[in-house]
Amino acid sequence: MHALLILAPFLGSFILNLPFRKVNKRLSFGVCAALFLLQMAVILIPDFGLNKINPAALANIFNFDLGVDALSKVMLFCIGLVALVTLCTNSLFLKDSDDKFNFINVLLIAVSGMNGIVLAKDIFSLYVFLEITAVASFILIAFNREELGLEGAFKYILLSSIATVLMIAGIALFFLVSGSTHFAAIHSALLAQDKSLLINLAIALFVSALFIKGGLMPFHGWLPDAYSSAPAASSVFLAGIVTKAAGVYVLIRILVSIAGFSLTLKSVLLFVGAFSAIIGAIAALTQTDFKRMLSYSSISQIGYIILGVGTGTVLGLAGAALHIFNHAVFKSLLFMNSAAVEKALGTRDISKMGGLGSQMPVTGLTSVLGSLSCAGIPPLAGFWSKLIIIIALWSAGFKTYAVIAILGSVLTLAYFLSLQRSVFFGKLNAEFKNIKEAGFSLLFPMILLGVITLGVGIFLPLVLDKFILSFNAVLGG
Amino acid sequence: MGYANLVIGAIFIPVIGAFCLPLAARASNRLRNLLSFAFIASSFILSLKLIPLVLSGQTILITKQFALGLNFTLLADSLAVFMACVSSLISALIVLYSFGYISHYENQNEYYFMVTLFLGAMIGLIFSANLILLYIFWEITAITSWRLIGFFRDKPYVLKADKAFLVTVFGSLVMLVGFLAIYQQAGSFDLPVIREAFKTQLISNLTVILILAGIFSKSATLPFHTWLPDAGVAPSPVTALLHAAVLVKIGVYVFARIFIVNITPDVLWHTVVPLAAGLSAIVSAGAALLETDLKRIIAYSTISQIGFIFFGLAIGNGVAILGALLYILMHGLAKAGLFLCAGIVEQNAKVKDITKLGGLISTMPVTAVSFLFCSFSIMGVPPFGGFFSKFLVFNGALASERLWVVLIFLIAAFMTIIYLFRVFNLVFLGKANIQAKESSPIMVATVATLAGLSLVAGILIYYPYKFAQIATWQMLGAIK
Repeated sequence: MHALLILAPFLGSFILNLPFRKVNKRLSFGVCAALFLLQMAVILIPDFGLNKINPAALANIFNFDLGVDALSKVMLFCIGLVALVTLCTNSLFLKDSDDKFNFINVLLIAVSGMNGIVLAKDIFSLYVFLEITAVASFILIAFNREELGLEGAFKYILLSSIATVLMIAGIALFFLVSGSTHFAAIHSALLAQDKSLLINLAIALFVSALFIKGGLMPFHGWLPDAYSSAPAASSVFLAGIVTKAAGVYVLIRILVSIAGFSLTLKSVLLFVGAFSAIIGAIAALTQTDFKRMLSYSSISQIGYIILGVGTGTVLGLAGAALHIFNHAVFKSLLFMNSAAVEKALGTRDISKMGGLGSQMPVTGLTSVLGSLSCAGIPPLAGFWSKLIIIIALWSAGFKTYAVIAILGSVLTLAYFLSLQRSVFFGKLNAEFKNIKEAGFSLLFPMILLGVITLGVGIFLPLVLDKFILSFNAVLGG
Repeated sequence: MGYANLVIGAIFIPVIGAFCLPLAARASNRLRNLLSFAFIASSFILSLKLIPLVLSGQTILITKQFALGLNFTLLADSLAVFMACVSSLISALIVLYSFGYISHYENQNEYYFMVTLFLGAMIGLIFSANLILLYIFWEITAITSWRLIGFFRDKPYVLKADKAFLVTVFGSLVMLVGFLAIYQQAGSFDLPVIREAFKTQLISNLTVILILAGIFSKSATLPFHTWLPDAGVAPSPVTALLHAAVLVKIGVYVFARIFIVNITPDVLWHTVVPLAAGLSAIVSAGAALLETDLKRIIAYSTISQIGFIFFGLAIGNGVAILGALLYILMHGLAKAGLFLCAGIVEQNAKVKDITKLGGLISTMPVTAVSFLFCSFSIMGVPPFGGFFSKFLVFNGALASERLWVVLIFLIAAFMTIIYLFRVFNLVFLGKANIQAKESSPIMVATVATLAGLSLVAGILIYYPYKFAQIATWQMLGAIK
C-alpha cells in the first residue's frame, strides 16, 4: 500500500503525458485532486479500502524498505492537504492551460518525492527522494520564468547543493561505519561502536545539511527570497509542506531512527530552535512585503518545531508533529490570503494597503484565524501545539527555553497585528473601493483551512491522548 | 444534573449563539439585536437559577478528563455564581443600550458577534476550574476586546486596539509560565487538586509574581495600566462593557479564585499587593484630576477603583473580602452607568473635552441625574451601594492594622470625590456652550436603570450582602 503512495502520483504524471493530451489536460485537475484526497483518506480512515491492499508484488517494487508510523502519517496527511490547496490556488492564478498542465505535472512529481521521503527507511533512498523533491521545487519557484523567481530558485539551488554535498558525505561515513544504508542497521552499528569521531562527524554533517534545507537561522538566507519570489501557488506549497518534509521531517527521522538524542545534540537543537524562533519573529516585524513577512514567520515557526524536537521526549515530538500539521494549515492559509490580496491589488507592499477586510470579508476573516493560530492564541489550533511544546520543554527541565518560547509568542502576535492593521483591519483606502473578493477556487480552500484551524482548536483535547500515545512507537522504534 | 446543565447553558448559549448572529442578520438586523440580547439575558437567568443552590452551601463540579491534565473542569460555587450574575446583568443592560448607540455605524454584525462571544467567554472563565481552560477563555476575551476597541477602524484607534491586545497577551503569557510552575508542583491544572496539593506545600514568590503580571495586565493595574485609558477610543458601550464593568474584573476575579480560594501565598503578599494597588489607585486618581477627555477620566477612575478591590481582596480578612465582592457589583453598575452617560454626551454634543462642555443638565436632565447618581455610588455616598462596599473594605483594612495603606486609600477616596464633582460641574452645570438633546429613549432608559440599580442596591443592601457573605465564608473555607 505504501508503495502506491509513491507510485501513484508518479504514474499519474506519466499517464497524463501519454497521447490525447487535450483530454488529459481537461482531466488533470480532477485526477490530481482525487489523488490527494485519496492520500488524506488513506491516513484518516484506517479501514479505507486501499489500506487493505498489500500484495507482495507491490511491496517488492522497490528494493528497499518502506515504513509508516505516527509521524509519517501526520506528514502524509499534510502533504495531501497542502497539495490539494496548492492545486486550487494554481487553477486561479495560471491563465494559460499549458502552464496549468505543466504545473500539475511538476506538483505530482514533488508529491511523489515527498511521500518517498516520508516513507523511506533507507538513508540513500531518502536522499534520492530528497533530490527529486528539490528539483521539482526549483522548477516550481522559477515557474513564471521571471527574473525574481529565477533568482530565488538559483539561491535555493546553490544552498541546496551545499546541503547535498554535506549529506552525501554523511551518508558515505555512515556506510563506512555500518556497511549498510538501512536505518536499523546503521543504528545498531552506531550503538555497537562507542561514539567515535567519525560518527559524530557524520551526524554533524547531516544535521547541518538539514538545517539548511529546513531554513533555520543562520542558514535561512535562501528561504525568504525563494518564498516571496515564487508564484502564488508555489509559495503555498513550499511554505506549507516542502521545507517541513525536506528539512524538518528528515531531521527528526535521522535523530529518531539513527543518531539518537545525545546531550550535545539536544542543546544544539534547542539553541538553534530558540534562535530561529526569536530572530525570525523580529525579522518578520520589520518587513513590509506581505510574503516576506510570512517567510520570516515560517523561519520562526520552524524554530518552534525544532524546540519541540530538541527535548528528545515523546511529548516534545508529538508537539513538534502537531505544530508541523498546524503550520501546514495556517501558513498555507496565510499565503493564500496574500495571493488573494496580491491578485486584487497587484502589489505585496502592506504599507499601501488598508481596510481590505470590508471588501474581502472571507480573506480578512480567514487571515485573522491563521494569524491568531500562528501566534498561539486559544482557541485556535496553533495554541495546542505551542502549549504542548512548552509543556514538553518545561517538564524536560529546559525552563529557560520554555520561557523564550512563550515570549516569542508575543513577538509573533506583534507582527501579525501589524499585518492585520495595515492590510485588513482599519479604514478602507479610497483607491481600493472597487476591489473584489477572490474567486471561488481560492475561497474554497481558504474556508476549508480556516474551518480546520478552528475545529482542531476546539476539538483537539478529545483525541490528544491518543495522538501523544501514538508517538511512543516513533521514539521507541 | 439539572444544575450542571444550567452552568453549561450559561456558558455555551452565548458562545454558540454568537455564531448564529451573522446568519440572523441576513433575515433582519432587529432579529439579530434581539437574539444577542436574548442569549446574554438567558445567561443571566441561568446564573440566577443557580443562586438557591449555592446559597445552601453546595457547589457543582463538572469534570471531563483529557490528556496532559487539559481537563474540562467547571466549578460553580457562590463566588462564581455571584460574578456570573453581576457580569451578565450588566452586559445585558449594555446590549440594550447598544440598540440605540450602534444603530448608525458599520460592522454591526461583528459588534454583536463579539459582544455576545465576549460575555460567553467571560462566563466560561468565571466557571472554569482548570487553569488552561481559564486561560483559553481569558484569551478569547482578549481577541474580542481587540476587535471591539478597533471598531471604528481609524488607524490610531486600531493601533490602540493592538496595544491593548499585546499588553494583555504579554501578561497572560507570563501568567501561563506561572501556571506551568503550579502544574509542576501540584501535578494538575485542576483547581480542586491544586488546592489539596498546596495545603502541604508553599507557592514560590516567583510564581506569584508571574501570575500577578497576568492579573494586573488584565485589570489594568500599575504598571500595566496604560492600555485602558487608550482603549477609550472604542464605542461607549464597549468601553462600558470591557473596560469598566466586566473585562477588567477578570483580573480581580482570578486573583480571588487562585490566591484566596485555592492557594495561600506568603504573608508578604498581604502587604505588597495592597501597596501596588494603593499606588495604582492614587496615581490614576491624580491622572483623572488632570485629564480633560471625558472618557479617559472615567477610564482612569476605573483603574483607581480596581485598586480598591485588590486592596480589599489582598488584605485577606473576611470583612475586607466581603467588601471587595460588593465593590465588584457596585462599581460595575455605577461605572457602566458613567460610561454610558458619557456615550450619550459624546454622541449628542460631538465633543469629549469637558472644558468645552457645560450646562447640559437643562437639555438632558435624565442623563445628568443618572450621571450624578452613579458618581455618588462611586464616591461612596450613603445610601448608594458604593458606600457599603467602600465602608466594608476600609473596615476590614483597619482591622488588619495596616494603617499606612489605609491612609493611601483614604486620600484616593477623597480624590475620587473631587474628580467626579469636577466632571459633573464642567459637563452638566454652568453655562451651556454646546446645545445637545437627549438620546433615544432606550439609551436614556438604560442609564436611568443603572443609576436606579446603584441606589436600590444600596437601600436593599441586605440581599447582596447576604450573598457576598456566604461567598466569602465559602472562599475562606468556613463552609465547604
